[in-house]
Order: sequence, then structure tokens, then C-alpha cells
Amino acid sequence: MVMRSLISVVDDDESVRESLPDLLREFGFSAEAFSSAEEFLASDCVGQTKCLILDISMPGMSGPDLQRELTVRRKRIPIVFITAHVDAAVRPRLLAQGAVECLFKPFSETALLNALNAALRVS
Amino acid sequence: MSGTLGQGSAGDRHQGRIDIARRAAHPSVMRDFHKRTGTEDELIRVVDALPGLVWTALPDGHVDFLNQRWCEYTGLSVDESYGQGWQTAIHCEDLPELLGRWRSILASGEPREMEARLRRFDGEYRWFLFRTNPLVDLSGQIVKWCGVNTDIEDRKRAKEAVNGVDRLFRSVVDGLPALVTLRKPAGDLEFANRHVLEYVGATIEELKQLPTTGTVHPDDLPNLLALWKGSVETGHPYEIEVRRRRADGVYRWFHMRGSPLRDTDGHIVIWYLLGTDVDDRNRAENLLAGEKRLLEMVAGGDSMSGILEALCQLVESTVTGCYCSVLLLGPDGTRLERGAAPSLPPNFIASIIGRPVKVDSGPCAMTAYLNEQVIATDLTAETRWAASDWCSMALAHGLQACWSTPISSTTGKVLGTFAIYFAQPRTPMPQHQILIDQFTHVASITIERAQTDAALKRSEAFLAEAQRLSSTGSFSWNTVTDKITWSEEVYHIYGLDPTVPITMERFGSRLHPDDVAHVSEHINRARGDGRDFEVDYRTQMDDHSVKYLHAVVHAGRDQDGQLEYFGAVQDVTERRLSEQALSKLRSDLAHIARVTSLGALTASIAHEVNQPLSGIITNASTCLRMLAADPPNIDGARETARRTIRDGNRASDVITRLRALFSKKDASTESVDLNEATREVIALSLSELQRNQVILRPELGDDLPPVTGDRVQLQQVILNLLLNASDAMGSVNDRPRQLIIKTERDEGDRVRLTVQDAGVGLEPQGVDKLFEAFYTTKSDGMGIGLSISRSIIESHHGRLWAAPNDGPGATFSFSIPRGSPSDMTGVHNLDPLQTPAVKDAQRIVRNP
Repeated sequence: MVMRSLISVVDDDESVRESLPDLLREFGFSAEAFSSAEEFLASDCVGQTKCLILDISMPGMSGPDLQRELTVRRKRIPIVFITAHVDAAVRPRLLAQGAVECLFKPFSETALLNALNAALRVS
Repeated sequence: MSGTLGQGSAGDRHQGRIDIARRAAHPSVMRDFHKRTGTEDELIRVVDALPGLVWTALPDGHVDFLNQRWCEYTGLSVDESYGQGWQTAIHCEDLPELLGRWRSILASGEPREMEARLRRFDGEYRWFLFRTNPLVDLSGQIVKWCGVNTDIEDRKRAKEAVNGVDRLFRSVVDGLPALVTLRKPAGDLEFANRHVLEYVGATIEELKQLPTTGTVHPDDLPNLLALWKGSVETGHPYEIEVRRRRADGVYRWFHMRGSPLRDTDGHIVIWYLLGTDVDDRNRAENLLAGEKRLLEMVAGGDSMSGILEALCQLVESTVTGCYCSVLLLGPDGTRLERGAAPSLPPNFIASIIGRPVKVDSGPCAMTAYLNEQVIATDLTAETRWAASDWCSMALAHGLQACWSTPISSTTGKVLGTFAIYFAQPRTPMPQHQILIDQFTHVASITIERAQTDAALKRSEAFLAEAQRLSSTGSFSWNTVTDKITWSEEVYHIYGLDPTVPITMERFGSRLHPDDVAHVSEHINRARGDGRDFEVDYRTQMDDHSVKYLHAVVHAGRDQDGQLEYFGAVQDVTERRLSEQALSKLRSDLAHIARVTSLGALTASIAHEVNQPLSGIITNASTCLRMLAADPPNIDGARETARRTIRDGNRASDVITRLRALFSKKDASTESVDLNEATREVIALSLSELQRNQVILRPELGDDLPPVTGDRVQLQQVILNLLLNASDAMGSVNDRPRQLIIKTERDEGDRVRLTVQDAGVGLEPQGVDKLFEAFYTTKSDGMGIGLSISRSIIESHHGRLWAAPNDGPGATFSFSIPRGSPSDMTGVHNLDPLQTPAVKDAQRIVRNP
């Protein structure tokens, strides 16, 4: 059995945590969901995660905060940001800081797959 | 006494009797005596008994016989009286004349009479008539003189008395201070007393030459003649007042009275005419009547110039040869102004008008300046106004004397001057001074009244103007008589004709049908309780337009003690309409405020909608993939479809909440769970708060009772407070941006909501203004949120306030009563006048 790549989802929104892992599994990935950056960092998935789908604004540590923390910890995990705030200015800034992609909710299946493929190529 | 004297003279009498008998034995005489008596003794007794003093004398006047009565009366004996002896009994003053007369009698030989005073035995003199008669013999020779002395003292006295009364009467008539004349029935002058002669300046003879009516004023003559003619015909007394010319040519008024004197047969013998000088009285009466007329003019509201002119003319008609002027002191007190001068040359007055009120400007200016009377008796010798050349100017107009008197107000302020001018030098007499005092007083009343009237008219005009400008009229209403008086503005407000008196019915006919009941109730209550009241009502005009009126009414009593109301009624239609307009404006503004909040929440709302949308799309994708698998994962697809529906509902809820919060709809009243409402607001704003990195800590109280009110409006307030708190912490980086929202029970069965931030806090000078519309500390805020929030809370009978925290930040709270739907002031049906929203809107308008 081929070892499936682990995609981790960090989002404070429950419906995302419920729906997104199921789709990722349908894509053929392994998926884990975390409700906060702190929870993800505390888990044992950090090292196995091939791609991180990360919400930008969350209570406590935000998405970019986690990105910086991972950089500090030298964990080079490709990150696909997702956000419900439609702010076009956010995307280029995040890409410049190393993000693979930034998707605005609601995003399509295709957009998500393209982003994941890009992320996995990077990794 | 008489007895003693009688006894003492008894011997004398006897001697005389013998002598008479002897000496009377003249042949002729004796023959007659003998014929009648027969005896000498009897003759002697007869002579002695005669009631007169009888004597005889020889032709040369020598007394040779005196009877007993002579001796008894004079106290002289016969011997003492013989010859010339009798003369000692004659009064020494009368003796020379008596002797002279006696001699002439003796010489004439005729029977004659003489008068002289004869001394009685007691020394008293009494007048006697001496009657003498010669006795002649047959040859016609006088042989003897017989004399009888009769006492005429009483008669004489009576006659003298008559003469005395006559003289007295004459002197009295002469001395009467009246003109007394007697005229014959035909009109000829019979007598004129001294007063007449002096008055006319003629002697009685001169006066008799004058025509009957020569001294009567020509204007009065026709009346007098007619009256006189009538009286002569009828014999009735007459009375008339005429002017009669005095010696100096001056006519004076006399009251003439004529009465006839009749003899015993009733024929008129003479007319008594009495003339009384009534000139002074007439003058005084005329003055009084004139003064009365002037005061009537004042009271009647005649023009001041007309009254002052009449005043001048009255004085001019009273004081012969004078000219009067009244000058007024100008408003600033520095110039003289025209008052009245009906008879003075216009040029003369024109040159006085406008002169400065100074001592050297002329007598009137000096009078006004000093507030003292100024008398110039002779302008040719006057030097006081040389500087202004006043005298030569006056002299050029033919004036030589000027008496100027200040006209003072009741408070002593100079109002003007009253001046009397003469063409000749003249010094005022006391009667002039009285006249001047009298008429300066009348002038003062006139001027003060005119000034008061003018002030009153001004004040009335101001009042009318003020009433017009403020659309406020005044009225009174007597509850007993129902008499109503309206100011002109009230008629104007009601659109009624001011010339038709207002009645309760007429007033009632103008009332708006819907207001008749409550206005009637006010009126009926007012009839009884005599209390002040206010009432709002509407009046309906002829064109069916409606005016909103507000009346403030004060209770009082009229002079009869009857209950009377005075009040002011104001047309508040415009205010009412603008209030209604403002109310709508306020409602629009509230909507704008909500829409503004919507703008602020756009990102948050997008987030709230995008989250479930994201879930929906993801789930739908998953579902499709599960169904496309072989074999299809039916259970998985069902689960994802279920999630899709859930997320769709979630998005729908967001939209519903948004629509409720930002749609423009009328307020409603319902039971509101404040915790639930707060949670919804938090849900809407949560992402916005997160974006601002605000840590929200809800502390929603358990067992919180529901409140009655408008759910959406209350949520509007909560949202506004949350967003304000979030904004206040936007620049805070040195401490957690903590926001506590708390609900709890408040005292007095109220519910309180508190929003506490850790922001920049309140500016001390800003606290009072916080709730004012358009006050804002934010660069992008409109400043209407808090103002509208407060008006919403107040419409819920609640209170919204702000307070600084002990630490950083501020706390905003509102507290509203639990209330019940009936207590709730339904925002949608509130009288726009009463709502705080209106006050709020007014604030908005006042503080643009």
C-alpha cells in the first residue's frame, strides 16, 4: 500500500475542518484537521505533513504567525493559505513570504487540487 | 320835681295874671273880651289854660304879657321875661336870626312865623314855632302883637331824620360797587350813582346828553335794546350781560338788571337799573371753561399741536395784547422744537427753532437750560442774549417783552417752554403769574400725555409686531359673562375677521372636530377650578387646512372679582410640521447609521457568508466524488450532502440576520431575550472583532428576564457599542485588546448591558458631547451612532451612559426596564413631538 501524503488542515471554522479532510481523502491524500495553530504545533503531525492548508485569521495565533513559527523551527512545509476575508492585497504578500498559494473561500475543487499539486512539487 | 318848681313860681304866675289883666285893659280889646266872657278873671284863666306859650308885645316889640305856661315852661318869672328878658330863654345860636326876623315882622305888620330853640326850665332846648299876629284897633293901627309858641321839636326831629335817611341812602348808592341808574319810563336818565360817573368818566349832565346806550359794546347793543323794549312794553324786569366801555376805552362785562318801580295805581314811575361788574368772574369762568376744554382735548386724544395751539389762543384771548408760544425740548435735550405759536410771526418762531439749549441763546433756550422762569420786561434794555443777537431779532418782529416759563414733567424734567410776548415793555402782574402757572401745567399734562401716548403706541406696535413675528396672540376670557377678547394676532391665527366680536360659538366653530371634546373639557374645568392650564389643539381653517395651536392660560380675577383667564395662544403648526419632518429625518439618519455599520461590517459579513459557502462547495465536491466512486460511497455522500444543507442554512441565517439588521423598517414591539440578541450581534461582528485582534469575553447573565422592545433596534445599539469598543482599541498594542460584553439584572426590575473596552478611553471634554449627533473622534465616523443609540434606549424608557474605567478604556452601559408591551412606548406609533428621537433629530439640526 502506497503511503499517502499527509495534508494537514488548520482552521477555526468547524465546517471547514469537517468537509475539507473528506475531500482531501477523496483526492487520495491522508488528511488531519486542527482547530488552531497551537493544536497543530502540539501534535505529532508537523514532521509528516507534506502540505499545510492554513486559515489566515484565527483567534490566538494566526496563519502567518504559524508560518513564521515553522520557519523559526526550520520545518519547511509547503503552505496553502485559505481565507474567508476577500482582500486581494493579502495574496501577493503571502506568496512573497513563501506561501505556495492563497485561496479565497469559497474555492473550487480544481483550484484546491492545482494548489496541492504545486505544493507537493515544491516538497 | 315839677311840683317844687310849680310851687316856686306860684307868686310869679299870680303877678303876671294881674299885670295882664291890668295892662290888657285896652279899650278895644277889652270890649271884645267883655262881650264873650264877661269877666277879666275868666279871660286870664282861659289864656293861662291855652295849650301853648302865649304872649303879647307892644307894637315896638316890647313883650308886655306872658301866660302861665310860658313861665312854667321856661322857669322864668313874668318880670324876668318882660321887655327883652324873654330873650334869655332863646338858644344863643338862634337868637340873632330870630331877632332879625322879629324886627322884619314888626316892620311888615303881617302875621308871620319864626322858629327857634327855647330853653326849658330844666335847661333843655326844644324847637318852637313862634306864630305872631298883630292886633289892630278900629282905625287899623296895630296896638299889640299876639304870639303863640308851639313845640315843634318832635316834628323837626322827624323831618331831620327823614333828611338824614335820604342822605344816607344817597351815599350808600354812591358807594355801591355797582352801576346804579334810574331812568324814567321813557328811558331818560334820572339818576346815576358816583360809580357810573367814574366808570364812564363823565358828569351827570354829560351823561344825560349821551344816547341811552352810548357806553354799551356795539355787539351787545341789539340784544340789550330788544330786551329793554320788551320790558318797557310789558313792565317785566330784565337781566342781561353786556360789555360797557370804561373811561379808558376798555370794555368790561356787566350783569345788568332792570326793575320797575310803580306807584299806588300800578303805573311805572321809574326803572331802577343795577349793573354788576362780572368781567373778572367771566374771565375766570372763560379761563376755567377754556382749561376744561383743553383738558377734554387732552383726554379725547386730540393732537398735541392742536391742543397747544388752542392753549396759546386761550391765553391770548385772556391777556390783552399778548402773543404766546410753546416750544418743545428735543429728544436729546439740546435743541428747541416747534410746539405751537398761532399768532407770532412764523419767521420769528423759525429763527428760534433749533437754537441750542444754552443760557445765551435766548429767553426760551435759557428757560429750558436753567429750568427757571425768565422774564424780560423790556427787550430794548436787555443784554443777556447779546451773544446770539436774540433781542434785535425779536425787536425786528415788533416784540418788546418776553416772559418765558419752563414746562416741567411731574418728575421735574423740562419738557419745553411757554412764552408770552408783548409789543410793548411789560412786567408780569400776580394775575399773570397765576395764569402762566395754570397753563404751563396744562401744557405739561398735554405734552406728557402725548409722549406717554407715543410711547404706548410704540409699545403696542412692538407687542403687535412681536405677536405677529412669534405667531402668538393674547386673549382674555371672563368665565361669568363668557366675554372674550382677542388680540389682532389671534384673529389672524384663526383666520377670522377682527371686526366681528369673538364669541365662544365662533371660537368653537373653528376647532378641529377631533379636538372639540378635549378643548371643551378644559373649558368646562376652567369655569370651576380657576387654575392655570395649558392645552394643545388644532383649528380647522376655511380651506380645511389645519393649524396646530398651543395655549398657555393664566387664571385671574377682574375688578368685580369674577373669574377671568388671560392667555397666549401660539401657532405651532410650523414647529409641529418641522418636528414631523425631523422625525422622518431622524429615521432616515438611523438607517444611514445602520448602513454605515454595514459598510464597516462588509469584510466580517463576507467572512460569515464565505465560511458556509466554502463548506458547501467542499462538501458538494466530496459528495460528487463519493457518488462517482465505484462502488459509490452512498453513506459518505449522504453525510456530505447533509453537511451541505447545514452550511446552506448557516449562510441563510447570516443573510436573514443581515437583512433584519440593515433593512429599513418600522419599529416593532416584542418580547426580546437580550442574551440571544447579543449573541446574534456577536456572531455578526465576531470576525470583524477578530480582524481587529480583539479578545471578546461575553459574560451573559443567567436567568435574564426578557425585555419588551424592538429587537432589531436594541441589536443596533449593541452592535454600535461593540464596534465602537473595537475601534477604540485599534491603536492599542501594549495590552490585550480585551472587550467584555456583559448582561445582568439591574435594580428596579431593569436589565443592564455593559460593554467594557481597554481602549484609548474618554476625553474629559468629550464626555458631554459623546451623545451629540455628529460628534466623533474617528476620522471616518459620522458621529451619529451614539446619538441614535441613546434615542433608541430612551424610547425604551431606558438610559445609556458612558464612564471611564479605573484602568485603561471606557465602559458604555444601557439599562432598560423589563416593562410589558403596554408600557412600552411603541416606537412606531409614538407622537413625534414626544419622542427622544425628535430631540435627537433637533440636536442634529442644531449641531450640524
